Amino acid sequence: MTTSPSDTDTAAHPLQEYADSVAEAVGGTAEIHFDTVKVVVDPSNWVSAFQTARDRLDLVFFSWLSAIDWSNEVAAGDPLSEEVEERFEVLATVGDLTEGNRVTFSTDISKEKAEIDSLVEVYVGANWHERETAEMFGIQFAGHPDLSKMYLPDEFIGNPLRKSFPLLSREVKPWPGTVDVEAMPEGPSVENPEA
Amino acid sequence: MSDETKSTETVDLWIAGTEESQFAPTDEGAQEISAEESESRLDAQFGRVVEDDYLFDEVVDDGERMIVNMGPQHPSTHGVLRLQLELEGEIIRRSKPIIGYLHTGMEKTAEGLTFSQGTTNVTRMDYLAPLHGELAYCLAVEELMGVEVPPRADAIRILMTELNRVSSHLVALATNGMDIGAVSMMIYGFRERELILDFLEKTTGLRMNHNYIRPGGVAADLHPGWKDDIAVILEEMPIRFAQYDDLLRNNPIWLSRTKGVGVITPEEAIGYAITGPALRATGVDWDLRKAFPYSGIENYEFDVPLGSKGDVYDRYRVRVDEMHESLKIVEQVMDAMPKGDYRVDDRKVTPPPRARIDESMEALIHHFKLFTEGFKVPEGETYVAVESPRGELGCYLVSDGGAMPYRMHTRAPSFANLQALPITMADSLMADTVATIASMDPVMGDVDR
Repeated sequence: MTTSPSDTDTAAHPLQEYADSVAEAVGGTAEIHFDTVKVVVDPSNWVSAFQTARDRLDLVFFSWLSAIDWSNEVAAGDPLSEEVEERFEVLATVGDLTEGNRVTFSTDISKEKAEIDSLVEVYVGANWHERETAEMFGIQFAGHPDLSKMYLPDEFIGNPLRKSFPLLSREVKPWPGTVDVEAMPEGPSVENPEA
Repeated sequence: MSDETKSTETVDLWIAGTEESQFAPTDEGAQEISAEESESRLDAQFGRVVEDDYLFDEVVDDGERMIVNMGPQHPSTHGVLRLQLELEGEIIRRSKPIIGYLHTGMEKTAEGLTFSQGTTNVTRMDYLAPLHGELAYCLAVEELMGVEVPPRADAIRILMTELNRVSSHLVALATNGMDIGAVSMMIYGFRERELILDFLEKTTGLRMNHNYIRPGGVAADLHPGWKDDIAVILEEMPIRFAQYDDLLRNNPIWLSRTKGVGVITPEEAIGYAITGPALRATGVDWDLRKAFPYSGIENYEFDVPLGSKGDVYDRYRVRVDEMHESLKIVEQVMDAMPKGDYRVDDRKVTPPPRARIDESMEALIHHFKLFTEGFKVPEGETYVAVESPRGELGCYLVSDGGAMPYRMHTRAPSFANLQALPITMADSLMADTVATIASMDPVMGDVDR
């Protein structure tokens, strides 16, 4: 899970009061990770939470949206140390441009039905962020006007930021750091003893 | 020559438009600019939430419209941005930026690199402001680890990033000038930038993509004689800036090409999450150096220059004024540079000094392990943002306790700023396209990552 020991003793954290008030307003639970206020909401509340944040909490500035693929099987990078529930976590950060409040909203959606409502109606700036996330994770944003690919070719199959997607360049050629003894320039090499 | 030498062969005349089309309707695939009937899509593209101040409202017959492809190899697209412009005579009615030509999957790559290798990756995102990318990443790693960097490292970071801001803005000015025909500005901007890059190279070893700011501090101390080099920069730059004013600010052609062009209202800027000089040119006072101070930047005095109209001219003025302010910060950092170590004295993240490696086997092993296996970062997640020359450059970092990040997301300022191009350019003149793009100062490495 994402909570670390340093996150749990947040009783005296200066942002706790604000985090709680946001969580109460949108109907979620507040977490504080270092200086990041994170409010976890239910996927059914996703759009209404942002509506509240924009209209009532004055968080008018949409910073970014992305996702995390929580998976026990990883094809690239290190696997997780503890087993987690397989899911996508969708994250979006909004803020205001006066007080310096910044809140990251988070929600979990299942991998079988990776779909969530689009925020374009609330924050027009979410448009490209959702397109990027849809392309990279295969998450559908219901109500988004145009989820066409933005980085990859049309015929590309797969969602690169899913943990099940292998990093092909590393499959073909191992990372140089993993080979710690290189063959001498002349004479037989390790990979090809006949040469 | 006599008439006999003239060719008498008949030539098959090829008339454009008469051949049968191989593609239906074009071969743009999903990137095809959307068909006219899908109004809802256009509403979103133009921003339903925000009202645009259209210059020209009368609509001519749809049949008069023409779609022009601009780029990706156009010199004014600052890399490989491609635009599809739908023109009605000289007026752009709709436009669609097409990106992805520089996409290299850096967020995926980051998941396969250790935290110490990660700086090499992020420095290649925004290649005009590489130090800001490194700083955001390192601040996130340090926050997760609970590492406090020494005061000198903080001061060096501010010194280098503010110099980097000047060099990045100089490129913005230079290319903006070139795009509108002030070609001499191009030469001067790049010449002065070299002065700063020389300084960065002397300390970091590289002109660009420095990999200089590392978790726990910086890679090397400032080079001997750095104060003299800074003194030269501080003395030379204001003189050069005054020359730019002669070239641009006092140039009626420049003024008429930039004033009132590419206007962004504050509502549009906030709606589309535009940050950096483009936001401040609309008059919104928002600078992360003031709102979320990092690396002790709150200890230095500087102003946040603001515009009022949000046009190309205001964005240019904000950049020039920001360069003055950055030099003010650089001067203060130089005078107050603390003594001490340039990286944290924590063996978990800091490799042993070079001299120790020659005499101690343990130091060699320690060094080797740090760079092959990396260091472990405790479980946690955080979002840290810095004010890059283009706006809010943020890093969302998730660690599960291993030596590699489980997820790294970069909030790229150029990505969000570029999203607002269609609404900025809608119903403006074709000739102003390049002025508008250049004034947004997109770096495609930052957009595509």
